[in-house]
Amino acid sequence: MSIPTLDIQDLKLGFKGYTGYAEVLHGISLSVAPGERVALVGESGSGKSVTARIVLGLLQELRTARISGSVRFEGKELDRLTKRERHALRGRAMSMIFQDPTSSLNPVFRIGEQFHDVLRRADAKITREAALERAASILAEVSVRDADRVLNAFPFQLSGGLNQRVMIAMALANEPALLIADEPGTALDVTVQAQTLQLMRKLVEEHHTAVLFISHNLGVVREFADRVYVIYKGRIVEQGPTRAVFEGPRHPYTRALMAAVPRLTGGGIPDIEENSPDFGAPIEIHPDEVQT
Amino acid sequence: MKRTLAILTANPLSLLGLVLVFVVVFSAVFADFIAPFPEHAGAVVDFANFNQPPQWPYIFGTDLVGRDLFTRVIYAYRISLILGIVVLAIAVPIGVSIGLVAGYLGGRTEYVLMRLTDVFLSVPPLVLAMSIMGVLKPTLANGMLAVTVMWWPWYTRLVYNITRGEKEEGYVLAAEVIGASRLHIIFREILPNCVPAIVTKMTLDMGFVILIASSLSFLGLGVQPPTPDLGSMVADGAKYLPDSWWLTIFPGLAILVAVFGFNLIGDALRDILGAEQ
Amino acid sequence: MNPLARLLAKRLATSLIVLIGVSMLIFAIARIIPGDPARIALGPNATQEQIANLRADLHLDDNIAVQYGYFIADVARGDLGISLYTNRPVTADIALYLPATLELVLVAGILMVGIGLPLGIWSARWRGRAADNVIRLISLLGVSAPSFVWAVILMLLFAFYLPLFPIAGRISDSYAIAPVTGFLLVDTLIHGDVRAFGNAAWHIILPAFALSLSGIGQAARLTRANMVETYDKPYIEMAQSYGFSARRIANRYAFRPSLIPSLTIIGLDFAAMLGNAFLVEAIFAWPGLSRYGVAVILRKDLNAIVGTVLIISATFLLVNIIVDLLIALLNPRIRYSQRPA
Repeated sequence: MSIPTLDIQDLKLGFKGYTGYAEVLHGISLSVAPGERVALVGESGSGKSVTARIVLGLLQELRTARISGSVRFEGKELDRLTKRERHALRGRAMSMIFQDPTSSLNPVFRIGEQFHDVLRRADAKITREAALERAASILAEVSVRDADRVLNAFPFQLSGGLNQRVMIAMALANEPALLIADEPGTALDVTVQAQTLQLMRKLVEEHHTAVLFISHNLGVVREFADRVYVIYKGRIVEQGPTRAVFEGPRHPYTRALMAAVPRLTGGGIPDIEENSPDFGAPIEIHPDEVQT
Repeated sequence: MKRTLAILTANPLSLLGLVLVFVVVFSAVFADFIAPFPEHAGAVVDFANFNQPPQWPYIFGTDLVGRDLFTRVIYAYRISLILGIVVLAIAVPIGVSIGLVAGYLGGRTEYVLMRLTDVFLSVPPLVLAMSIMGVLKPTLANGMLAVTVMWWPWYTRLVYNITRGEKEEGYVLAAEVIGASRLHIIFREILPNCVPAIVTKMTLDMGFVILIASSLSFLGLGVQPPTPDLGSMVADGAKYLPDSWWLTIFPGLAILVAVFGFNLIGDALRDILGAEQ
Repeated sequence: MNPLARLLAKRLATSLIVLIGVSMLIFAIARIIPGDPARIALGPNATQEQIANLRADLHLDDNIAVQYGYFIADVARGDLGISLYTNRPVTADIALYLPATLELVLVAGILMVGIGLPLGIWSARWRGRAADNVIRLISLLGVSAPSFVWAVILMLLFAFYLPLFPIAGRISDSYAIAPVTGFLLVDTLIHGDVRAFGNAAWHIILPAFALSLSGIGQAARLTRANMVETYDKPYIEMAQSYGFSARRIANRYAFRPSLIPSLTIIGLDFAAMLGNAFLVEAIFAWPGLSRYGVAVILRKDLNAIVGTVLIISATFLLVNIIVDLLIALLNPRIRYSQRPA
């Protein structure tokens, strides 16, 4: 078995605030193999976004955050890396796609300039011309034809779908080993979201990029992921291959989540009960269908 | 309110602000009991003790006619605070009402009212107050008038901007749909949403009114002698720098302390009330 | 039409309306003076006839609307009347004194932006840390005292106790610089006199710094507040997740979008210095508009009061227009939209 791209063991996170200590993650474990697409599913507030931010090392800098457990990236314990080493991973070995593409791009800089900054993470001396050329070729991969216009535009001049493709192109520009996608395109309308997700899927397959896909949208997850982790209130409650989980959900929370799914829009947070004693049931693990 | 006070006292900086403001207000209110030489607030002379550096019992020293500076600073605080309160008590309701009406009604009303506001905002505040003071007799009441005239437009601007945003909000539209009167919508629906911003600005402005009023009297366009005033004390003392430094430094620092205190509280309030919105 | 040109045209038109409003306001204030300006101007020994003549000259016997008409017609010709205090055209007086004040204000403005913005950026970048608290405290102190108090403190510290800077004036008497622009820092260079330039610069530092202190504090506070808000935006998180350096994020990604809302207020603060310059000039015996302005106000010199306020307001409006254009230049949404915001 090869070394997983991402391996999280017993990760706990708490915040120290005015009102005392509040634990948000109660020891979650998950792993993503090279080239594997793994989904982390749960409602908002379940702890899925903070997990992503810990992997990127963004929360570690908060003085109120208390983190314990192990996060290994390609076998390296992130905690043991120096700040500089951890920083070096960001934007190069791992990158991230955000929920709302338009507000995740800086409003006062042209797309080309922002692309240049991203590419500079891998090659500090890259010239503007070389960066724009490279950007245009990656944009072509996400089916952006008039790359020159896009690179010369400000985010507000482009449609949400186009900005989303720009984000995907940026995220993959430096050939990262791991891509974290935090509810990508939730702010877009459904058809555009589906299109861009397909593009993303095609691209990560071609580049053999591992993906940690964070979502509350089960329909999307089913399409996209190889394996699924269901997270509820800071605990993983069910995990397994996508097919197994969808065809035979075992945990009461997963079943509630599934029951809420069949709807046309797919957007929005499923209507499920705020809480139920059953949801505290222990974790359900489906065996992997194919050993990796 | 209780919560706000609790947060204010928990933060060292806003606590410092509360202490400073308390000291200023307390000494102004109880000036008659605190001041060592209450009669020195008026036109008294004591040439035996003139121009003395700080020493017991004159902890801030004495001025050129032998009056205790500490006493005069305390009485000057009284004048400053009265001025600040009166100015805000007049300027805020006027400015807020105009801002609400202009922001909510829009159209021609908005254009006329906001251009009128622009006119007042287009004269540097101090220059406007100066020219008003120039044509009026320099008395406390006229000083208040001059500062009030330059102050209301800032509240109009503030409230106008909030109102324009709020008027598109669902709760206002809902009130319109059920046929609430304009007055009701303006004062019962929109105004409450402006209150945190207004309160914050008023706290900060207590300091700034004191500051501007002292600037006016520094130029000789404010309260006239023998009434003690921080600005004119600094102006009078500046002629005797550097030897009689206490004549300027203590009144100057007195302005700084009062304004700083109000600003510390105002800043903290902005953080608290802003976060709650 | 190019959006920038359209914005400029619109702002100029609005400013003209506002300026006319200001002229009415200030004219009205000047005409409610208790007491007869003609009598005040001529002194107690004037005859009844002299007073009547002067009143006629000044159109004081006509109704206020007619007086305003005469006034505007004169202003349109660039004539602000004769100062009853100096007996010279008000325009000549202002031309004599304004450059010194403007020079002081401009240098103070450069200090305000050059010191205030970096302080604000650092404060926001290190928000919650010691450096932030120190900067916040200093900038709050800066705005908490009128500039004349800072002038006194700085003078005492750096001109008397540590005699590093001159106590008063614009330039040492030994230098005679023929005025070209009226700005000494420019004129000395035009004459190629570097030592005189140095001397003038040495004279302007303390008063300009005293004048700029509250502006520095205001600019730092504003920049910090807007940047802290910007730091919560998704695009900052994105920049962080891509591993851009904290310095680059602060100076570029967080600062640039935050500058746009700050600029309006910074422009207003800059313009307010035109008034505050009066306070600093008085302490440092700076030969600017201050002494003239206060003198004409105390002498109820109508023409001079109206002229001075009008010129200052026009400068004020001009600054605001420049700031608006700057905002449009920095904000692509305005630059590239068909409707000026």
